[in-house]
Amino acid sequence: MGTLRRALMAAATTAGAAALTIGGLAGSAGAQEVTTGILWGNMNTVTQDLLNRAADDGNNFLMTHGNYHQTRFYPNRQINTLNVRHLHPAWIFQTDVMESMETAPVVINGVMYVTTSFDHVYALNARTGEQIWEYKHKMGPITTYCCGPNNRGVAAYGDMIYVGTLDSKLVALEAKTGKLVWQSQIADPELGYSETMAPTAVDGKILIGTTGGEYGIRGFVKAFDAKTGKLLWTFNTTAENSQGVWATTDATGRDLHRDIAAEKAAYAKNGDPYKTLGGGVWQNPSVDLATRRIYFVVGNPSPDLDGAPRPGDNLYTDSLVSVDLDTGKYVCHFQYVPHDLWDMDAVSATVLVDVKDKDGNVVPGVLHGEKTGHIYVNSRKDCSLIRFSEAMVPQENMWTLPTKEGARMLPGANGGVEWSPMATDPNLGLVYAVNLHQPMNYFVESAPYPSGKLWLGGAFKTIPTEEQWGNVTAVDYNTGKIRWQVKTQQPMIGGIMATAGGLVFTGEGNGLFKAYDSATGAELWRFQAGAGVNAPPSSYTVDGKQYVVVAAGGNTQMDYKRGNNVIAFTLP
Amino acid sequence: MTLPRASLILVVLGSMLAAPATGRADDVEQKAAICVACHGDKGVPINPNIPIIWGQNEGYIYLELRDLKLGNRKSDVMGPIAATLEKQDMIDLAAYFAAKPWPELEQPSPPRDVVKRAEQAINAAVCQSCHLDHWQGNSTTPRVGGQQHEYLRATMAAFRDGTRANNPWMTALLKTYSDQDIDALAAYLAAAQ
Repeated sequence: MGTLRRALMAAATTAGAAALTIGGLAGSAGAQEVTTGILWGNMNTVTQDLLNRAADDGNNFLMTHGNYHQTRFYPNRQINTLNVRHLHPAWIFQTDVMESMETAPVVINGVMYVTTSFDHVYALNARTGEQIWEYKHKMGPITTYCCGPNNRGVAAYGDMIYVGTLDSKLVALEAKTGKLVWQSQIADPELGYSETMAPTAVDGKILIGTTGGEYGIRGFVKAFDAKTGKLLWTFNTTAENSQGVWATTDATGRDLHRDIAAEKAAYAKNGDPYKTLGGGVWQNPSVDLATRRIYFVVGNPSPDLDGAPRPGDNLYTDSLVSVDLDTGKYVCHFQYVPHDLWDMDAVSATVLVDVKDKDGNVVPGVLHGEKTGHIYVNSRKDCSLIRFSEAMVPQENMWTLPTKEGARMLPGANGGVEWSPMATDPNLGLVYAVNLHQPMNYFVESAPYPSGKLWLGGAFKTIPTEEQWGNVTAVDYNTGKIRWQVKTQQPMIGGIMATAGGLVFTGEGNGLFKAYDSATGAELWRFQAGAGVNAPPSSYTVDGKQYVVVAAGGNTQMDYKRGNNVIAFTLP
Repeated sequence: MTLPRASLILVVLGSMLAAPATGRADDVEQKAAICVACHGDKGVPINPNIPIIWGQNEGYIYLELRDLKLGNRKSDVMGPIAATLEKQDMIDLAAYFAAKPWPELEQPSPPRDVVKRAEQAINAAVCQSCHLDHWQGNSTTPRVGGQQHEYLRATMAAFRDGTRANNPWMTALLKTYSDQDIDALAAYLAAAQ
């Protein structure tokens, strides 16, 4: 189907080019072949209809997580379990920036858009890797960001490309040239706000959250007008009346060891801490066009490890939240870890799939892989919890309170599942996550908010004598059972993609990029990229040839070997 | 530096700030002239406990001047100087010094056992996740690679005992380290280019 559409588009392109040539003849001395213009047809306007059908698009990879449901399932099967062993690099593109790469390439009609640390954006010929243009963001002097100068990619809409920047701007570029069209200041970077997530484009709106949960910000998701950059709505991710229900257990029923009486007294004395409560948003919201709702998860409360300045459940930190796409008004939420003291927050992208509820009925669901090491399955209707998966990583001493001397707990503060987006295979009913096992000690140390400086309320440190490793895990989202699990040498960060070819692709800090059989976890192919492969892979098809592409730039947060490569693979 | 000298600097600085605001480049040159007395006219500080600011990251210089003015970072010398600066002065000075070349002091590499100790300390806290690969930092995070050995040691000690209180994360982290760890880290980072 994808191939047919491409052929039709090529035909339309030829007709368009011919018309241009004839028009040109009237004013010129002789016939001229049109040699300028875009590479693979003139259809480079990203329409809403194209985006709506992204999940079935076997040519493009239209959003950082594939489609509005963020399934990261690519529907082309040209590269599959039988031939993946022949996969080899088609081209390698080297960026100007040798630093952590978390970008998920977006590919539209043969043009690929990738980003780097410090917010460079590149448009590449997706067939050859040749650079079409580069945009270097003129960074303001003040940036405050946790966990590396990362950027996770662009959004495409109409004839524009959108990117968020470390100095907390939303930038709109002309897709053909990379020329700056407009930029809007999202928030004040001196107060701890910055952008590392990719925006989401839908119905004339550009949606973007904010990082800063480590800086005493008040988090948000905002919608901007795609044409003008004007702010349309803001949803604050920390609620007024953030105390919630004074929950004593987490979503799985474990005791949080809270002193509720002391917290209530502090709340009565000092008031609602919502203004500096954190609540960053690290990943794109998923979009349910049928109900016009978006679903995203909110990160940790500030300060991370010290609960004293923030009594209460700290709504909506560590929560799944749904708001109305058109107005930004609250629809529902579900909190995984009330009054979090371990940075055990919700950062990976939400995924929308139909799931079986407790009675076996198929209902619209939303999946989230959490730092706790569980995948949570919630109802899209009211955000309520349907089930949670078996733990994908060891859990010990949960929820022991951080101490001045340091208290050991598993998972370590990077999770479980970090920002790394998951993938699903709807045919198998499986969701795939990449995990970290990093034993850590948690220390608490109270301090007032140091404006624009990290505010963690303590520290977490790995335990040098204890082994660290990672997993690739497949979970049946209709039962919560782990179907298969493969260990990796190092904790995993970066993300994963599934394809209709029966494969999942994911990379490691040691430079290995691997393909597994998505049904069994058998490793079918590997490639040594020379630097950490810690970014989500994408796939696309040009001229009838399927490619898999991934960035190999290492990772700042995990200190994996840095690089600057974008590598596209294809079959001979 | 003695207090009377600091007072003299204030008088001079005060008269500079009172000058008409014509030509921002000239202005910042004038304001920066005062810094040379301690931070050095070629970027090499006059004492080992004074930091290199030539080539330091712009956002970091600005935030430190801001914190010195607000009193969040205490310094008998820098506090009164920063108190006279307006936000734009701090932004201009930060840009001015950030654009200067970092002076390479070529401080010696420590022995192998010290390097090992420093690397262990670094790995436990993943210091590069903020100070970045090669210790260059960025924007509001300082470059620490090649900074003055004694300044690094004294600063880490001050963070740990809370006398430098404008970055509680560093305080919390450094409280988990011993004197030997801090000595090793200072030697290691000073030698890093």
